Amino acid sequence: MASEMESSLETSFMSSGALSGSSVFLPPARSRIFKIIVIGDSNVGKTCLTYRFCAGRFPDRTEATIGVDFRERAVEIDGERIKIQLWDTAGQERFRKSMVQHYYRNVHAVVFVYDMTNMASFHSLPLWIEECKQHLLASDIPRILVGNKCDLRSAIQVPTDLAQKFADTHSMPLFETSAKNPNDNDHVEAIFMTLAHKLKSHKPLMLTQPPGDGVTLQPEPKPEVTCWC
Amino acid sequence: MTSQSPQGDSPTSSLPDRGAETAAFNGKRKKKVAEIYQALNSDPTDVAALRRMAISEGGLLTDEIRREVWPKLLNVSTSDPPPISRKSLRESKDYQQVLLDVRRSLRRFPPGMPEEQREGLQEELIDIILFILESNPQLHYYQGYHDIVVTFLLVVGERLATSLVEKLSTHHLRDFMDRTMDNTKHILNYLMPIIDRVNPELHDFMQSAEVGTIFALSWLITWFGHVLSDFRHVVRLYDFFLACHPLMPIYFAAVIVLYREQEVLDCDCDMASVHHLLSQIPQDLPYETLISRAGDLFVQFPPSELAREAAAQQQAERTAASTFKDFELASAQQRPDMVLRQRFRGLLQTEERTKDVLTKPRTNRFVKLAVMGLTVALGAAALAMVKSALEWAPKFQLQLFP
Repeated sequence: MASEMESSLETSFMSSGALSGSSVFLPPARSRIFKIIVIGDSNVGKTCLTYRFCAGRFPDRTEATIGVDFRERAVEIDGERIKIQLWDTAGQERFRKSMVQHYYRNVHAVVFVYDMTNMASFHSLPLWIEECKQHLLASDIPRILVGNKCDLRSAIQVPTDLAQKFADTHSMPLFETSAKNPNDNDHVEAIFMTLAHKLKSHKPLMLTQPPGDGVTLQPEPKPEVTCWC
Repeated sequence: MTSQSPQGDSPTSSLPDRGAETAAFNGKRKKKVAEIYQALNSDPTDVAALRRMAISEGGLLTDEIRREVWPKLLNVSTSDPPPISRKSLRESKDYQQVLLDVRRSLRRFPPGMPEEQREGLQEELIDIILFILESNPQLHYYQGYHDIVVTFLLVVGERLATSLVEKLSTHHLRDFMDRTMDNTKHILNYLMPIIDRVNPELHDFMQSAEVGTIFALSWLITWFGHVLSDFRHVVRLYDFFLACHPLMPIYFAAVIVLYREQEVLDCDCDMASVHHLLSQIPQDLPYETLISRAGDLFVQFPPSELAREAAAQQQAERTAASTFKDFELASAQQRPDMVLRQRFRGLLQTEERTKDVLTKPRTNRFVKLAVMGLTVALGAAALAMVKSALEWAPKFQLQLFP
């Protein structure tokens, strides 16, 4: 039963060797995969955030993402090796309308990103959330909200209390961070790791659980919300 | 800004340089340059020959030649530049998105370029894009369009780039610039059927992995400008695509996947692994071989033959493939070469891959072309290309595609 439940999350064990015809005598160490999709308006910093987490640094220069990029990092949580896959998506509306749906399939969590220095990117969030709802089969998939670029203090347009209120309304924890700020090195890490912990403890019953059964991710305690830069 | 390329006139040839073979290549190269100028200077311009040159090994060789030939391939006159009025452009609805994308496009400019010059070019890039969008309200900006425009800007300069890209946008790129990306998706649907024809095992593997086709999206809509870091390779491919049917980039995408067969099959059979592998395009691809292979596949499995499969999930839509026929027709009619024109007309009237053509062929080649449903100009070029490619590089081809 336990293994059956686990199989609702993809495992690399399942896929390796089976079709490639190579003879594998010992299955490789089974590692669970958490698949997380990162969405939000153009230029809010989705690529920088995912790059930061997977490569450990702010990228020198990023370009517009066309379609969907993929980044991956292996972490260890409570002694278990887990692969975190981040799907970094294009921000322009036309892409998400017809191109991105494919990548919503089987995701285990969603990260919504807005740019704290750009009110329009915050105002787009309801659209993103709505769209996400349409694509996801399960209603209890963990979702978090990330306000990026908090290092640009003088340019902040989206006040924390406004963002917090919005996050509460949608039962999401809010994180304000900066993918760039070198002093903030651990924060991006902490965000994704928090999510990974959540996923690890999250019962993998996403498709069988009746909706609205209280499994919805609870908002993080308020202190988490402070900007760590 | 003049129409001078920031690269100057330095050749952007991708001819291999292999010691003993160098002399032979140089000889061929010289010969090719002479042939290109002969085609350019003949009256009327021998566009069919120029197409062949753009496709065959080495492509158009230098940016100097490209400045002359690209306009001919697109049937754009170099003498009537459109006036760019910059005034109202920056109030357009796409301005913000274009600005964001162009500002982030540093990687598209030559590494050693002074910042000031690069910033000037970025401003020009924004102006060209906004001007074209404003003059053609039916066209919609997509992220990646700027990667195409910058290539033209760097090779032919602002003035001519505007004319060329405007023509391209209403023809080859037209489908990408619809209000939605449905047609783009439709074109991506050609990818797997091509792979299936050549290598069913690879096709099945990719299907089982459910990798989809988005890994090839940026390849298609930027003509590989977004993913190749060596500008010489980019312009070489542009030579090829400008001379060919608008669906050629998807054939080229298929050829890349097929070329990487072993890597794909060695990969874990899941979406993430295969997507990741394929979206990281190797920078040292054997471009000339792949180009000739793509031309080969186009002739073997023309779009008409794949259309049914590609359309399986979508209602038939107006794609660039259909607008290209109008384009060909229009450009043929504008040209003063009567013989070619009549030939075009005769074939275009009876084409649509009907049996009519079969019953009254002019030559064997045209029978073949009509059967294949190719547009005439491309077909001739493609066949010529396949032939010349075999003459030029038979051993590479045999090695890679036994």
